[in-house]
Amino acid sequence: MNRRVILTWVLALVGIPAVIVCSVLFRFDRSYYFVSLVIIVLAMLPFFAAFEGRRPQAREIVIIATLTAIAVAGRAAFFMLPQFKPSAAIVIITGASLGRESGFIVGALTGFVSNFVFGHGPWTPWQMFAYGLLGFLAGVIFSKRLAKTSGLGGYKPLLILYGALGTFIIYGLLVDTASVMIWASSFTWSAAKLVYLSGVPFNLIHALASAVFLALLATLLTEKLARLKRRYGLFQP
Amino acid sequence: MRNNEDAFSTLHPTVVFGHFVTVVGVSVVFLHPLILAVSFVGALAYVCYLKGWSGIRKMFPGVLAMMVFAALFNPIFNHRGMTILCYWYDNPITLESILYGLAASLMIGAVLLWFVSYNQVMTSDKFLCVFGRMIPALSLTFSMVLRFLPRYFVQAKHIAAAQRGIGRDVFSGSWYARARHGSAVFSIMLTWALENAVDTSDSMLARGYGLPGRTAYTDFRFRQRDLAAGVTLGGGLLVVIVAIVAGVLRANYFPIFDLNAASYLSWLVIAVWGLICATPLIMGLREEAVWRSLRLNL
Repeated sequence: MNRRVILTWVLALVGIPAVIVCSVLFRFDRSYYFVSLVIIVLAMLPFFAAFEGRRPQAREIVIIATLTAIAVAGRAAFFMLPQFKPSAAIVIITGASLGRESGFIVGALTGFVSNFVFGHGPWTPWQMFAYGLLGFLAGVIFSKRLAKTSGLGGYKPLLILYGALGTFIIYGLLVDTASVMIWASSFTWSAAKLVYLSGVPFNLIHALASAVFLALLATLLTEKLARLKRRYGLFQP
Repeated sequence: MRNNEDAFSTLHPTVVFGHFVTVVGVSVVFLHPLILAVSFVGALAYVCYLKGWSGIRKMFPGVLAMMVFAALFNPIFNHRGMTILCYWYDNPITLESILYGLAASLMIGAVLLWFVSYNQVMTSDKFLCVFGRMIPALSLTFSMVLRFLPRYFVQAKHIAAAQRGIGRDVFSGSWYARARHGSAVFSIMLTWALENAVDTSDSMLARGYGLPGRTAYTDFRFRQRDLAAGVTLGGGLLVVIVAIVAGVLRANYFPIFDLNAASYLSWLVIAVWGLICATPLIMGLREEAVWRSLRLNL
């Protein structure tokens, strides 16, 4: 491991508890939003540092940029249908076929860059982390399995299931929790319940979109990426 | 010098970014009513200056709706506080939580307005200038994504037109046919994009990507006035932080609302904070005034 990676892990593992302890000790106002923001940012750092520290090849960088651009373009192309976006599906396929690290990077960058189109706000870090986590977990669950087959094998139903559940639970929960942190002075269950319940229809549409786009695109995209990996020897774990 | 930029935007990106982090950070962390009011007015004035009256009319209703929501959200769900005003469905509505809600709504308004101006001022090339050296690979990826986006939209149009020529129109036919044709366009697009990616990376390697001693290009230079602005803003921020930590400015909402008594020192700190928030506007107006007087002298 490279020095920068170790540093960010130390920052995350020491920093997150330290921030929580400080907020309990000093109880500054707005601590919920501030503390959760610091935690999210610190939690993302090790992923970014690992990507930087590995000194990725030119080809890997360009392919990651390509997939991110496609995910962002997807979010922008479907702007007229709120929440019905292919971005999560593309991030999930990336994680599943190129591995968890690429999944996280493409996800976080998708959240970041697409907000240059949709507008940055206090929600940006949460969206980055939520997309990143979707891609990362897809990598954890699927990338080893998919490496043995060329293409999806029999994993397509499982991938669609993961996509729908992941978008609904992981993305929905994280982004809705961000809303609670932004709106409410303190995290009360009654406030959280209201936000989560009002978020359900939006998250359902988003989850449905992920499932539909995974059903349409997963085979196609995994096969193309598998061929690219095999032909150029990229993203080997 | 770039066209159509106000004076503040022409400062070095690190200073602009630092200013942005300062105003948003302090507004989010310290919920003092005066700090928030000043921040809100400063942000609103700068957005007015950047976008004009028509720009304000377009985005302000949205911001206002969020502010009203925040002001209502807190009293309804937060029952801390000593002064119970009334009961709503058996839940106490307290004066403290109403005041807190008002502060939170000012905070959200200020932060959203700062983000509006940030989205215009901190363009992606400036972001790259700030972070290019710290995270070179990610910054490169980021700038590539920005370059690919318009290119992909153009290419997607070409592909869709070509497909229409052979009877696979994305915009007509049954839902099922359109989805199939759409997937075909996407598939072609993807193959093209990935081939293109490999070509691009070969070209990068041929030009020496990853060799030692290569730096990222930016055409921003850190000038004397950037240093002056940076030091001034940093000093101001330090004053505000020290004042808040030392308790010169204090606002407690729970269990009972309590501001510390106004002193000359606290007004001084507010004035410093006001200067920080107004810096972008002051710089812009000053430049316009100088420009006008120069033209009058001609």
